[in-house]
Amino acid sequence: MSDLLAARAQMGTSLAFHIIFASLGVGLPLLLCIAEGLALWHKDSGWMTLTRRWTKAFALLFAIGAVSGTILSFEIGLLWPTFTRFSGAIIGLPFALEGFAFFIEAIFLGLYLYGWERLSPRAHWLCSFPLWISGAASAWFIVSANSWMNTPVGFQITHGQVTGINPLQAILNPSTPYETTHMLLAAYVAAGFGVAAVYAVQILRGRREAYFRKGLLLAMALGAIAIPFQIFDGDLSARSLATLQPAKLAAMEGVFHTEQGAPIKIGGIVDDKTGQVLFALEIPDLLSILAKGDPHATITGLDAYAPQDRPDPFFVHPSFDGMVGSGFFLLFIGGVFWLLYFRRKRVVPENRLLLWAIVLSGPLSFLAIELGWMVTELGRQPWVIYGILRTQDAVTTTPGLDISFLVFTGIYVVLAITLTVLLLRLARSPLPKQEWPVLASSSDEEVETK
Amino acid sequence: MTLTYTILIILWLSLIAYAVLGGADFGGGIWDFFAFGPQAERQRRLIGQALGPVWEANHVWLIFLIVGLFTAFPLAFSVLSTALFVPFTLAVIGIVMRGAAFMFRGQADDATTSRRIWGRVFSTASTITPFFFGAAAAAVASGQVHVEGGRVQTDLLAGWTTPFALTIGALALSLCAVLAAVNLIVEAQNSNDAELVEAFRRRAMIAGAITLALDVVAFILSPFQAPLLWHGALDHALPLISATALIGLGAAASLFLRRYRLARILAFTVTAFIFASWGLSQFPYLVPVAVTISNASSPPSTLLALLIGTSIGMALLLPSLWFLFHVFKGKHPALSVQEQAADPASTQH
Repeated sequence: MSDLLAARAQMGTSLAFHIIFASLGVGLPLLLCIAEGLALWHKDSGWMTLTRRWTKAFALLFAIGAVSGTILSFEIGLLWPTFTRFSGAIIGLPFALEGFAFFIEAIFLGLYLYGWERLSPRAHWLCSFPLWISGAASAWFIVSANSWMNTPVGFQITHGQVTGINPLQAILNPSTPYETTHMLLAAYVAAGFGVAAVYAVQILRGRREAYFRKGLLLAMALGAIAIPFQIFDGDLSARSLATLQPAKLAAMEGVFHTEQGAPIKIGGIVDDKTGQVLFALEIPDLLSILAKGDPHATITGLDAYAPQDRPDPFFVHPSFDGMVGSGFFLLFIGGVFWLLYFRRKRVVPENRLLLWAIVLSGPLSFLAIELGWMVTELGRQPWVIYGILRTQDAVTTTPGLDISFLVFTGIYVVLAITLTVLLLRLARSPLPKQEWPVLASSSDEEVETK
Repeated sequence: MTLTYTILIILWLSLIAYAVLGGADFGGGIWDFFAFGPQAERQRRLIGQALGPVWEANHVWLIFLIVGLFTAFPLAFSVLSTALFVPFTLAVIGIVMRGAAFMFRGQADDATTSRRIWGRVFSTASTITPFFFGAAAAAVASGQVHVEGGRVQTDLLAGWTTPFALTIGALALSLCAVLAAVNLIVEAQNSNDAELVEAFRRRAMIAGAITLALDVVAFILSPFQAPLLWHGALDHALPLISATALIGLGAAASLFLRRYRLARILAFTVTAFIFASWGLSQFPYLVPVAVTISNASSPPSTLLALLIGTSIGMALLLPSLWFLFHVFKGKHPALSVQEQAADPASTQH
């Protein structure tokens, strides 16, 4: 394996691993906040039991997110020292601000996890607010840095030197509004459908306590509210690419040749050699309409770029279609669920086919996040900073990167397996039979054992 | 330049915060490793209690340090990451395995194989990170990071495998052990466990003696292996180093006299002074002699934005941090909330 490929493989694996936990770190605190708020409001032990359970799972997930995030903060330097040297002064700031947001999340997580008996129930609930707010803030900051890599602004290059640095302008680069919103909503969608899938499994297995229906309802509410916004925002995001990064849009849609009235190509296999998308479903003019609102609009193809400046659509196109397809599936399932719920006078639907679809929607919502990042990252290639610095020029000169890649991949495999085993065990452990006052304010150990 | 130094001092204080707080957490893992005999399970539980609520927050000082260095001194960050690829990678592996294993162990049932295995991983990984960070720091301080013609030397073992660097790695480890032991004494006092107080007092004294011995070795080696640091120390850090030695003595004396809270404060202070002495000794270099403070520094617009961001961030962070330590590290003789809950009068509403 070449050093460049090994470095990209390690970075990609690390990001793909971390984003799962980062998304849950953004989405789950909101669910915790709502569930605990409902518990305190209605003095309801069902909601409180849910809060307790989610807290335990969240503790594990957050820790894995924190340590895998640490790997990434080192990897930026270890694998891409030229990138850090070039970009630190311009785009380091949102990383530093993300550091603060993450710091506050970690502090209130400590209070939230271990503070059941040391804080009053209300103070404990209040600790969940900084959790989800700083979770969202850290996502915003870090994604703004990625946006800058796609649309780098806030500096000039004069005689090979970076001058006129404006960090604020760099943070608020043209891609930031689209990318940050898309990722935040993605985190809520994934947390919602991810948690819903857990309870759908339980209900399918015949668990009929109110606890499971409450878990399913709240999670489906979050997922189903977020998904229409996400699809609307995704459309804005894709349209912004027509002006900001036409090469990426061309790779996403498999447009090899610049053309007027471009069709949309759904699915298919991209053949780089012939410049065609084989077996795709084509709808004439639709890409021109979607991207520019005019059936005859010109869509820039990959042939507008020199061969060494083109992203490879081979993975980008199917990743994009997979993401969009998953998104519409989630929208459909969320819609059906709530339609049935309200038509049956607020009874949680227990249609087995629907429950199975919800089970499927959990993994699909995370798959959509992974595929979306594939689109963003592979679609930006061959650049690490679009139009400024090539990925191949940013990689470290240190030898032995393939060993490093293998070691870290091994670590991720071990962590993923252990985590899965522990979370499954947690889901299977019997529910504590608890009265309201004890649940509301005592240590976790006591709740489990009393 | 004032702006540059202000940022540098903030970053150096973060380094100290990580060394003291994060160091005590890693040291907890070291004592977990050495827990044996009839007390072992109680010791492990105390260590777990001490780390539980705070380790993730303490760890973020490192993140802040890295992203701060990336923003304010990108050249230094880039040079260090390239030259010290191996020790940094190993330290990160230690961080990951320590954190993950601590959580995994916490979720496993008592006396099961998986709990034993993850406990071992936790304690072993806790020793990896301080050692390799220590060795990497020594490689920097002894001027072993070379840049020739704009290219960083990338010999994988260079710099951090010298006798001096290995000594400093061991020193970092024993210092973490001291910090953890004095902290655990106070934690044991808070839980009214006199036996554990004595146990960790013994451990603190042993680790302190080892730290002193390693200090002497490093002192003897430094004129030969880290001449720049040696001369810098003699030249402009001597008062600070003398103060460090005196505070160290004070920490040992208060430990001996069973003044544990004072011992903890002094042990934390001495760590801060060690890092301050190091920084002052290698002034004005960030990475001697390849990178100076001024040639690595980002332009003023970046530094100003970082300073403003840091000020706002700290204004939110420090009160939260105070609250965290107030809730978990203060004296809680009676858990008042729990008593209220057990009292029927206060719950029937």
